[in-house]
Amino acid sequence: MNIIEIENLCHRFADGTVGLDGIHLNIRRGSFVVVAGPNGSGKTTLLRHLNGLLLPTEGCVRLAGVSVAQDPARARRLVGMVFQDADSQIVGETVYEDVAFGPQNLRLDHNEIDIRVAQALKTVGLAKIRDQRPHLLSGGEKRRLAIAGILAMQPRVIVFDEPFSSLDYPGVQQVLQNILKLHRCGHTIVVSTHDLEKIIAHANRLILMHRGRVVHDGTPAEVMTEVENFGVRQPCAMRLGQEVASWLS
Amino acid sequence: MRHASGPRGGVVAELTPFGFVVGTSLLHRLDARFKILFLIGLSLASINAHFDGLAVLTLVLAGSLFFCRIQWKSAWRELRYFLILLAMVFAARVLSTGGSPAITIWMITISLPGLTTAALVCWRLAFVVLLGLAFVATTRPAEIRAAVQWFLKPVPLVSEKKVATMMGLILRFIPVILNQARETAEAQKARGVENRKNPVYRLAKIGFPVMRRTFERADDLASAMEARCFTENRTNPELSAHWRDWVAMGAVVCLCMALLTL
Repeated sequence: MNIIEIENLCHRFADGTVGLDGIHLNIRRGSFVVVAGPNGSGKTTLLRHLNGLLLPTEGCVRLAGVSVAQDPARARRLVGMVFQDADSQIVGETVYEDVAFGPQNLRLDHNEIDIRVAQALKTVGLAKIRDQRPHLLSGGEKRRLAIAGILAMQPRVIVFDEPFSSLDYPGVQQVLQNILKLHRCGHTIVVSTHDLEKIIAHANRLILMHRGRVVHDGTPAEVMTEVENFGVRQPCAMRLGQEVASWLS
Repeated sequence: MRHASGPRGGVVAELTPFGFVVGTSLLHRLDARFKILFLIGLSLASINAHFDGLAVLTLVLAGSLFFCRIQWKSAWRELRYFLILLAMVFAARVLSTGGSPAITIWMITISLPGLTTAALVCWRLAFVVLLGLAFVATTRPAEIRAAVQWFLKPVPLVSEKKVATMMGLILRFIPVILNQARETAEAQKARGVENRKNPVYRLAKIGFPVMRRTFERADDLASAMEARCFTENRTNPELSAHWRDWVAMGAVVCLCMALLTL
């Protein structure tokens, strides 16, 4: 069953630049999708349509059968978005308060907020530093805090925009572990990246974008041979004719 | 060299050493609204207090701070800038207060009333700063925000929820903006900005990029808040007054009255 349905999605920015041009996509519930493409290919613009941060100039995005444009608030509850710059996403003065921000906006009662925050912090492994100030966290911890902030809202789809940018190797591993854990728990995962190396071993679908259009869509094995024609580097192992290994192995 | 993105903070941590410290002391358990009132009351009372009164206030505060688990090493390191300010205030007071000369060094005459007044003023200032430190260290930022929101509720033409949200965001983003300014300044130094003697030129070269980046961050922040369903009608932290708050209120009122009347 499809949780995301996109029909003829076009987006034109105020200055006339075409961000997205005739996107047709369906994403199945529980799938793990990677959206790849060079800078400016429209990945982030596409992701921002999934939770109504941007609305289509033409076409339609539906979440579990309901148009995002009709009910953006519902879309934001269903689709959690982890932004590229974790520092800009973290709004709380402490780790606990940041994770509680979303549930507080949903006007949940205090007990429910406490339960959700505790669960989310446990999932990402930050339960022991709940009273720490966010600006004192490492890059990997900030990214995990951003994930916890989304988790506490209990979305069905989690969208990651360049989740590994500016992270060191341990930071990438921590974030990757969390993404895989969420996928195992039944969340639909959509990851946008231009760096396939770190994530592609775990995805079951690869969508390649170029200049606002979807140019290839299929299993990673099918699409991977084409990526270098569109400004995305193949993983090293693949260039050497080997199977791409997980960054966790 | 330490970086803000490194483990547990680094430079940014140095910029904001005073923050909430987890604890279960009496000060931690008091209602934030009462603590704000105590802060105002005791600060005002200290203005009228003399050495004996200040000694009592300082003893009470020191006793309370002892149980707050404040990192004194870090606090002391940051307070050194405040101590420089205190030293300047002390010198200004000593030199500007007349009276019979106690010491004369070259052309400078220092009077006993000058020394006494300067010591009293500096003690009062130090007391108020330590009082603020105790408040910040024992009160969660969310509780401070909720308390301010509660106090502003009856004020007409002021959206208390907007003020509370802005307060929270300012607290959160001051270190981020300071870090941005530091990085920009270092980038400018790396490109030899120090060779330019014109301070206006240097200020502009640092100020404009920092402002541009701050506005970009503000845009990103607005999107991130929207993505997390931001609304002004949200669940606020619970504030509830207990018997201990009223007992503390009684004690503080008695202390203030004693200082004002004696």
